[in-house]
Amino acid sequence: MAGALPLSTPVAALLLSLFANAVLAGGLPTVELEIRDGAFDPAVIQVAAGQRFKINLHNRGNGPVEFESLALRVEKVLGPGVSSFVVIHPLRPGRYSFFDEFHLDMPEGIIEAH
Amino acid sequence: MTQALLIVWRESVEALLVIGLLYAWLQRLPARHRPQGKRALWLGVLAGTGLALLLAALMLLAGTSLSGPAGEWFQVAMAAVASALVLQMVIWMAGSNATPQSRSAPSHPGAVALLATLAIAREGSEIALFLYGAAASSGSAGMLTGALTGLLVGVLSFAILQRGSRLLNWRRFFQLSTLLLTLLGGAMLMSAVDRASSLLMGLELPAAAYDWLGNAMWDSSTLLDDSSRAGALFASLTGYRAHPPLPGLLMLASYWLLAWWGCHARRVRYAGQLSV
Repeated sequence: MAGALPLSTPVAALLLSLFANAVLAGGLPTVELEIRDGAFDPAVIQVAAGQRFKINLHNRGNGPVEFESLALRVEKVLGPGVSSFVVIHPLRPGRYSFFDEFHLDMPEGIIEAH
Repeated sequence: MTQALLIVWRESVEALLVIGLLYAWLQRLPARHRPQGKRALWLGVLAGTGLALLLAALMLLAGTSLSGPAGEWFQVAMAAVASALVLQMVIWMAGSNATPQSRSAPSHPGAVALLATLAIAREGSEIALFLYGAAASSGSAGMLTGALTGLLVGVLSFAILQRGSRLLNWRRFFQLSTLLLTLLGGAMLMSAVDRASSLLMGLELPAAAYDWLGNAMWDSSTLLDDSSRAGALFASLTGYRAHPPLPGLLMLASYWLLAWWGCHARRVRYAGQLSV
Protein backbone atom coordinates (compact mmCIF):
# COMPACT_ATOMS: atom_id res chain seq x y z
CA MET A 1 0.00 0.00 0.00
CA ALA A 2 2.85 2.31 0.85
CA GLY A 3 4.10 2.10 -2.70
CA ALA A 4 0.76 2.90 -4.29
CA LEU A 5 1.54 6.49 -5.12
CA PRO A 6 4.96 6.09 -6.76
CA LEU A 7 3.61 3.08 -8.64
CA SER A 8 0.66 4.91 -10.16
CA THR A 9 2.99 6.68 -12.60
CA PRO A 10 4.45 3.56 -14.21
CA VAL A 11 0.98 2.03 -14.45
CA ALA A 12 -0.33 5.10 -16.24
CA ALA A 13 2.89 5.15 -18.23
CA LEU A 14 2.52 1.56 -19.34
CA LEU A 15 -1.06 2.14 -20.41
CA LEU A 16 0.00 5.16 -22.42
CA SER A 17 2.90 3.28 -23.95
CA LEU A 18 0.45 0.92 -25.60
CA PHE A 19 -0.38 3.62 -28.09
CA ALA A 20 2.81 5.63 -27.77
CA ASN A 21 4.03 4.48 -31.14
CA ALA A 22 0.74 5.06 -32.90
CA VAL A 23 0.24 8.69 -31.94
CA LEU A 24 3.84 9.85 -32.07
CA ALA A 25 3.92 13.37 -33.34
CA GLY A 26 4.24 13.85 -37.06
CA GLY A 27 4.43 17.65 -37.26
CA LEU A 28 7.17 17.97 -34.68
CA PRO A 29 10.23 20.10 -35.62
CA THR A 30 12.92 17.48 -36.11
CA VAL A 31 16.71 17.57 -36.14
CA GLU A 32 18.93 14.79 -37.43
CA LEU A 33 22.04 14.09 -35.38
CA GLU A 34 24.71 11.59 -36.36
CA ILE A 35 27.11 10.25 -33.75
CA ARG A 36 30.31 8.61 -34.92
CA ASP A 37 32.34 7.20 -32.01
CA GLY A 38 31.77 10.33 -29.96
CA ALA A 39 31.87 12.89 -32.83
CA PHE A 40 28.61 14.81 -33.41
CA ASP A 41 27.39 15.91 -36.82
CA PRO A 42 26.20 18.65 -36.63
CA ALA A 43 28.05 19.76 -33.51
CA VAL A 44 25.76 22.77 -33.06
CA ILE A 45 21.99 22.42 -33.31
CA GLN A 46 19.79 25.49 -33.73
CA VAL A 47 16.22 25.28 -32.47
CA ALA A 48 13.37 27.66 -31.77
CA ALA A 49 12.91 28.50 -28.10
CA GLY A 50 9.58 27.75 -26.45
CA GLN A 51 8.76 24.84 -28.71
CA ARG A 52 9.38 21.15 -28.17
CA PHE A 53 11.44 19.37 -30.79
CA LYS A 54 12.66 15.95 -31.71
CA ILE A 55 16.24 14.82 -32.23
CA ASN A 56 16.65 11.76 -34.42
CA LEU A 57 19.82 10.06 -33.24
CA HIS A 58 21.84 7.84 -35.55
CA ASN A 59 24.82 5.90 -34.30
CA ARG A 60 27.07 5.61 -37.37
CA GLY A 61 30.14 4.54 -35.39
CA ASN A 62 31.62 1.14 -34.70
CA GLY A 63 30.76 0.92 -31.02
CA PRO A 64 27.91 1.80 -28.64
CA VAL A 65 27.36 5.46 -27.69
CA GLU A 66 25.33 7.19 -25.01
CA PHE A 67 23.78 10.48 -26.00
CA GLU A 68 23.48 12.47 -22.79
CA SER A 69 22.65 15.98 -21.72
CA LEU A 70 22.81 16.88 -18.05
CA ALA A 71 21.08 20.21 -18.62
CA LEU A 72 18.19 18.62 -20.54
CA ARG A 73 18.02 15.48 -18.38
CA VAL A 74 18.05 13.02 -21.27
CA GLU A 75 20.21 10.00 -21.87
CA LYS A 76 19.94 7.38 -24.55
CA VAL A 77 22.16 4.40 -25.20
CA LEU A 78 22.53 3.36 -28.85
CA GLY A 79 24.23 0.22 -30.10
CA PRO A 80 26.29 0.46 -33.32
CA GLY A 81 24.07 1.12 -36.35
CA VAL A 82 21.05 1.87 -34.18
CA SER A 83 18.77 4.89 -34.70
CA SER A 84 16.34 6.28 -32.17
CA PHE A 85 15.05 9.64 -30.99
CA VAL A 86 14.52 11.89 -28.01
CA VAL A 87 11.92 14.64 -27.67
CA ILE A 88 13.06 17.74 -25.79
CA HIS A 89 10.71 19.97 -23.84
CA PRO A 90 10.24 23.63 -24.86
CA LEU A 91 13.49 25.43 -24.02
CA ARG A 92 14.17 28.91 -22.80
CA PRO A 93 16.62 30.82 -25.03
CA GLY A 94 20.14 29.69 -24.24
CA ARG A 95 22.86 27.14 -24.88
CA TYR A 96 22.54 23.55 -23.72
CA SER A 97 25.42 21.13 -24.02
CA PHE A 98 25.26 17.42 -24.78
CA PHE A 99 27.94 14.75 -25.03
CA ASP A 100 28.61 11.08 -25.62
CA GLU A 101 29.07 9.55 -22.20
CA PHE A 102 31.00 6.64 -23.69
CA HIS A 103 33.49 9.00 -25.40
CA LEU A 104 34.14 11.71 -22.85
CA ASP A 105 37.43 12.69 -24.49
CA MET A 106 35.50 14.04 -27.52
CA PRO A 107 34.22 17.63 -27.64
CA GLU A 108 30.67 18.37 -26.49
CA GLY A 109 27.84 19.34 -28.80
CA ILE A 110 25.62 22.38 -28.27
CA ILE A 111 21.92 23.05 -28.67
CA GLU A 112 21.19 26.74 -29.22
CA ALA A 113 17.64 27.86 -28.54
CA HIS A 114 16.72 31.27 -30.00
CA MET B 1 41.82 5.51 -18.39
CA THR B 2 40.77 7.92 -15.65
CA GLN B 3 37.58 8.51 -17.64
CA ALA B 4 36.78 4.80 -17.81
CA LEU B 5 37.37 4.55 -14.10
CA LEU B 6 35.12 7.54 -13.49
CA ILE B 7 32.28 6.21 -15.63
CA VAL B 8 32.25 2.76 -14.07
CA TRP B 9 32.39 4.19 -10.57
CA ARG B 10 29.69 6.78 -11.20
CA GLU B 11 27.37 4.30 -12.88
CA SER B 12 27.80 1.77 -10.10
CA VAL B 13 27.65 4.05 -7.07
CA GLU B 14 23.86 3.93 -6.76
CA ALA B 15 23.75 0.12 -6.81
CA LEU B 16 26.76 -0.01 -4.49
CA LEU B 17 25.02 2.19 -1.93
CA VAL B 18 21.70 0.35 -2.09
CA ILE B 19 23.28 -3.07 -1.74
CA GLY B 20 25.89 -1.90 0.75
CA LEU B 21 23.27 -0.33 3.02
CA LEU B 22 20.98 -3.36 2.84
CA TYR B 23 23.92 -5.64 3.60
CA ALA B 24 25.00 -3.53 6.58
CA TRP B 25 21.42 -3.61 7.80
CA LEU B 26 21.13 -7.40 7.48
CA GLN B 27 24.45 -7.70 9.29
CA ARG B 28 22.86 -6.08 12.33
CA LEU B 29 19.90 -8.44 12.54
CA PRO B 30 19.85 -11.21 15.12
CA ALA B 31 21.97 -14.11 13.83
CA ARG B 32 19.01 -16.38 13.11
CA HIS B 33 17.49 -13.86 10.68
CA ARG B 34 20.67 -13.12 8.75
CA PRO B 35 21.09 -16.08 6.37
CA GLN B 36 17.65 -15.71 4.78
CA GLY B 37 18.10 -12.00 4.08
CA LYS B 38 21.65 -12.35 2.79
CA ARG B 39 20.70 -15.22 0.52
CA ALA B 40 17.97 -13.02 -0.97
CA LEU B 41 20.42 -10.13 -1.39
CA TRP B 42 23.09 -12.18 -3.17
CA LEU B 43 20.49 -13.87 -5.35
CA GLY B 44 19.34 -10.39 -6.33
CA VAL B 45 22.90 -9.32 -7.12
CA LEU B 46 23.33 -12.39 -9.31
CA ALA B 47 19.99 -11.87 -11.08
CA GLY B 48 20.79 -8.17 -11.55
CA THR B 49 24.13 -8.94 -13.17
CA GLY B 50 22.44 -11.45 -15.45
CA LEU B 51 19.69 -8.98 -16.39
CA ALA B 52 22.27 -6.23 -17.04
CA LEU B 53 24.21 -8.49 -19.40
CA LEU B 54 21.00 -9.58 -21.11
CA LEU B 55 19.88 -5.97 -21.60
CA ALA B 56 23.31 -5.01 -22.94
CA ALA B 57 23.27 -7.93 -25.38
CA LEU B 58 19.74 -7.02 -26.51
CA MET B 59 20.81 -3.42 -27.12
CA LEU B 60 23.55 -4.67 -29.41
CA LEU B 61 21.45 -7.28 -31.19
CA ALA B 62 17.99 -5.71 -31.23
CA GLY B 63 19.01 -2.14 -30.51
CA THR B 64 16.42 -0.34 -32.62
CA SER B 65 13.45 -1.82 -30.79
CA LEU B 66 15.06 -1.59 -27.36
CA SER B 67 16.16 2.02 -27.83
CA GLY B 68 12.62 3.00 -28.82
CA PRO B 69 9.70 3.93 -26.54
CA ALA B 70 9.10 0.34 -25.36
CA GLY B 71 12.64 0.07 -24.01
CA GLU B 72 12.38 3.51 -22.45
CA TRP B 73 9.13 2.64 -20.67
CA PHE B 74 10.82 -0.48 -19.40
CA GLN B 75 13.54 1.73 -17.88
CA VAL B 76 10.86 3.95 -16.35
CA ALA B 77 9.18 0.91 -14.81
CA MET B 78 12.46 -0.46 -13.43
CA ALA B 79 13.30 2.86 -11.75
CA ALA B 80 9.78 3.38 -10.39
CA VAL B 81 9.49 -0.14 -8.97
CA ALA B 82 12.96 0.15 -7.40
CA SER B 83 11.92 3.44 -5.81
CA ALA B 84 8.73 1.88 -4.40
CA LEU B 85 10.75 -1.05 -3.01
CA VAL B 86 13.15 1.35 -1.28
CA LEU B 87 10.16 3.08 0.29
CA GLN B 88 8.79 -0.24 1.49
CA MET B 89 12.22 -1.22 2.84
CA VAL B 90 12.66 2.06 4.74
CA ILE B 91 9.25 1.69 6.35
CA TRP B 92 9.96 -1.91 7.30
CA MET B 93 13.21 -0.79 8.90
CA ALA B 94 11.41 1.89 10.92
CA GLY B 95 9.65 -0.87 12.86
CA SER B 96 13.01 -2.08 14.12
CA ASN B 97 14.12 1.26 15.44
CA ALA B 98 12.58 1.11 18.91
CA THR B 99 14.59 -1.73 20.41
CA PRO B 100 17.33 -3.96 19.01
CA GLN B 101 15.30 -6.99 20.19
CA SER B 102 12.49 -6.08 17.84
CA ARG B 103 14.71 -6.20 14.76
CA SER B 104 13.00 -8.73 12.60
CA ALA B 105 13.88 -10.57 9.43
CA PRO B 106 12.96 -8.82 6.19
CA SER B 107 9.21 -9.12 5.85
CA HIS B 108 9.65 -9.98 2.19
CA PRO B 109 13.01 -11.50 1.24
CA GLY B 110 11.73 -11.37 -2.33
CA ALA B 111 11.55 -7.58 -2.11
CA VAL B 112 15.20 -7.43 -1.01
CA ALA B 113 16.19 -9.65 -3.93
CA LEU B 114 14.15 -7.66 -6.46
CA LEU B 115 15.54 -4.34 -5.23
CA ALA B 116 19.12 -5.63 -5.58
CA THR B 117 18.28 -6.94 -9.05
CA LEU B 118 16.83 -3.64 -10.25
CA ALA B 119 19.58 -1.54 -8.66
CA ILE B 120 22.23 -3.47 -10.58
CA ALA B 121 20.35 -3.96 -13.84
CA ARG B 122 19.49 -0.26 -14.17
CA GLU B 123 23.03 1.01 -14.64
CA GLY B 124 24.81 -2.32 -15.06
CA SER B 125 23.71 -2.68 -18.67
CA GLU B 126 25.31 0.69 -19.47
CA ILE B 127 28.56 -0.35 -17.83
CA ALA B 128 28.53 -3.62 -19.79
CA LEU B 129 27.92 -1.77 -23.09
CA PHE B 130 30.57 0.83 -22.30
CA LEU B 131 33.13 -1.88 -21.53
CA TYR B 132 32.18 -3.77 -24.69
CA GLY B 133 32.72 -0.62 -26.74
CA ALA B 134 35.97 0.15 -24.94
CA ALA B 135 37.32 -3.35 -25.49
CA ALA B 136 36.34 -3.32 -29.18
CA SER B 137 37.91 0.07 -29.94
CA SER B 138 41.59 0.76 -30.26
CA GLY B 139 43.52 1.58 -27.13
CA SER B 140 41.38 -0.94 -25.33
CA ALA B 141 44.10 -2.02 -22.92
CA GLY B 142 44.15 1.33 -21.14
CA MET B 143 40.34 1.49 -21.09
CA LEU B 144 40.04 -2.01 -19.72
CA THR B 145 42.60 -1.34 -17.03
CA GLY B 146 40.63 1.75 -16.10
CA ALA B 147 37.35 -0.14 -16.02
CA LEU B 148 38.76 -2.97 -13.92
CA THR B 149 40.28 -0.43 -11.55
CA GLY B 150 36.80 1.13 -11.39
CA LEU B 151 35.29 -2.19 -10.38
CA LEU B 152 38.02 -2.61 -7.77
CA VAL B 153 37.33 0.87 -6.41
CA GLY B 154 33.67 -0.16 -6.25
CA VAL B 155 34.45 -3.24 -4.19
CA LEU B 156 36.68 -1.11 -1.99
CA SER B 157 33.87 1.43 -1.50
CA PHE B 158 31.60 -1.44 -0.44
CA ALA B 159 34.17 -2.63 2.11
CA ILE B 160 34.67 0.90 3.48
CA LEU B 161 30.90 1.31 3.78
CA GLN B 162 30.70 -1.90 5.81
CA ARG B 163 33.62 -0.91 8.03
CA GLY B 164 32.28 2.59 8.50
CA SER B 165 28.80 1.42 9.38
CA ARG B 166 30.23 -0.73 12.17
CA LEU B 167 31.80 2.32 13.79
CA LEU B 168 28.38 3.87 14.31
CA ASN B 169 26.14 2.96 17.19
CA TRP B 170 22.75 1.50 16.39
CA ARG B 171 20.82 4.72 16.54
CA ARG B 172 23.21 6.72 14.35
CA PHE B 173 23.49 3.87 11.87
CA PHE B 174 19.72 3.59 11.75
CA GLN B 175 19.22 7.31 11.10
CA LEU B 176 21.95 7.58 8.52
CA SER B 177 21.05 4.47 6.53
CA THR B 178 17.36 5.39 6.53
CA LEU B 179 18.16 8.89 5.28
CA LEU B 180 20.53 7.66 2.56
CA LEU B 181 18.14 4.96 1.35
CA THR B 182 15.21 7.39 1.24
CA LEU B 183 17.33 9.87 -0.74
CA LEU B 184 18.35 7.15 -3.21
CA GLY B 185 14.74 6.03 -3.60
CA GLY B 186 13.76 9.63 -4.35
CA ALA B 187 16.55 9.87 -6.92
CA MET B 188 15.27 6.71 -8.64
CA LEU B 189 11.76 8.16 -8.69
CA MET B 190 13.03 11.39 -10.27
CA SER B 191 14.91 9.47 -12.93
CA ALA B 192 11.67 7.62 -13.73
CA VAL B 193 9.77 10.93 -13.88
CA ASP B 194 12.40 12.49 -16.19
CA ARG B 195 12.26 9.59 -18.61
CA ALA B 196 8.47 9.43 -18.51
CA SER B 197 8.22 13.20 -19.10
CA SER B 198 10.50 12.93 -22.09
CA LEU B 199 8.38 10.10 -23.50
CA LEU B 200 5.12 11.97 -22.89
CA MET B 201 6.70 14.96 -24.60
CA GLY B 202 6.76 12.89 -27.78
CA LEU B 203 3.01 12.27 -27.73
CA GLU B 204 0.28 14.46 -29.17
CA LEU B 205 -1.03 16.26 -26.10
CA PRO B 206 -2.72 19.61 -25.50
CA ALA B 207 -0.06 22.35 -25.75
CA ALA B 208 -0.46 23.20 -22.05
CA ALA B 209 0.70 19.69 -21.14
CA TYR B 210 4.15 20.29 -22.63
CA ASP B 211 4.61 23.43 -20.54
CA TRP B 212 3.41 21.56 -17.48
CA LEU B 213 5.84 18.71 -18.12
CA GLY B 214 8.81 20.86 -19.04
CA ASN B 215 8.61 24.30 -17.42
CA ALA B 216 10.85 24.72 -14.40
CA MET B 217 9.14 25.92 -11.22
CA TRP B 218 12.34 27.69 -10.17
CA ASP B 219 16.03 27.95 -10.98
CA SER B 220 18.49 27.07 -8.23
CA SER B 221 21.43 26.54 -10.56
CA THR B 222 23.36 29.40 -8.96
CA LEU B 223 23.21 27.50 -5.66
CA LEU B 224 24.03 24.09 -7.10
CA ASP B 225 24.20 23.52 -10.85
CA ASP B 226 23.02 20.00 -11.66
CA SER B 227 24.53 20.17 -15.15
CA SER B 228 28.02 20.35 -13.66
CA ARG B 229 29.78 17.02 -13.02
CA ALA B 230 29.60 17.20 -9.24
CA GLY B 231 26.07 18.59 -9.32
CA ALA B 232 24.95 15.77 -11.62
CA LEU B 233 26.37 13.15 -9.26
CA PHE B 234 24.60 14.82 -6.34
CA ALA B 235 21.37 14.92 -8.38
CA SER B 236 21.66 11.25 -9.31
CA LEU B 237 21.95 10.27 -5.64
CA THR B 238 19.34 12.59 -4.12
CA GLY B 239 16.80 13.50 -6.80
CA TYR B 240 17.89 17.15 -6.67
CA ARG B 241 16.98 19.25 -9.73
CA ALA B 242 18.12 22.81 -10.37
CA HIS B 243 15.17 23.38 -12.76
CA PRO B 244 12.41 21.16 -11.38
CA PRO B 245 9.19 20.89 -13.38
CA LEU B 246 5.94 20.47 -11.43
CA PRO B 247 5.34 16.69 -11.97
CA GLY B 248 8.72 15.77 -10.51
CA LEU B 249 8.24 18.12 -7.57
CA LEU B 250 4.81 16.66 -6.79
CA MET B 251 6.10 13.11 -7.04
CA LEU B 252 9.14 13.75 -4.87
CA ALA B 253 7.09 15.61 -2.25
CA SER B 254 4.54 12.75 -2.14
CA TYR B 255 7.35 10.24 -1.87
CA TRP B 256 8.94 11.98 1.13
CA LEU B 257 5.55 12.50 2.78
CA LEU B 258 4.76 8.80 2.35
CA ALA B 259 8.16 7.83 3.74
CA TRP B 260 7.69 10.08 6.75
CA TRP B 261 4.12 9.02 7.37
CA GLY B 262 4.87 5.30 6.84
CA CYS B 263 7.83 5.32 9.21
CA HIS B 264 5.91 7.31 11.79
CA ALA B 265 2.88 4.98 11.67
CA ARG B 266 5.08 1.92 11.96
CA ARG B 267 7.02 3.29 14.91
CA VAL B 268 3.79 4.17 16.70
CA ARG B 269 2.47 0.66 16.09
CA TYR B 270 5.62 -0.95 17.43
CA ALA B 271 5.74 1.33 20.45
CA GLY B 272 2.12 0.35 21.18
CA GLN B 273 2.89 -3.36 20.98
CA LEU B 274 5.82 -3.03 23.32
CA SER B 275 3.88 -1.23 26.01
CA VAL B 276 1.00 -3.74 25.98
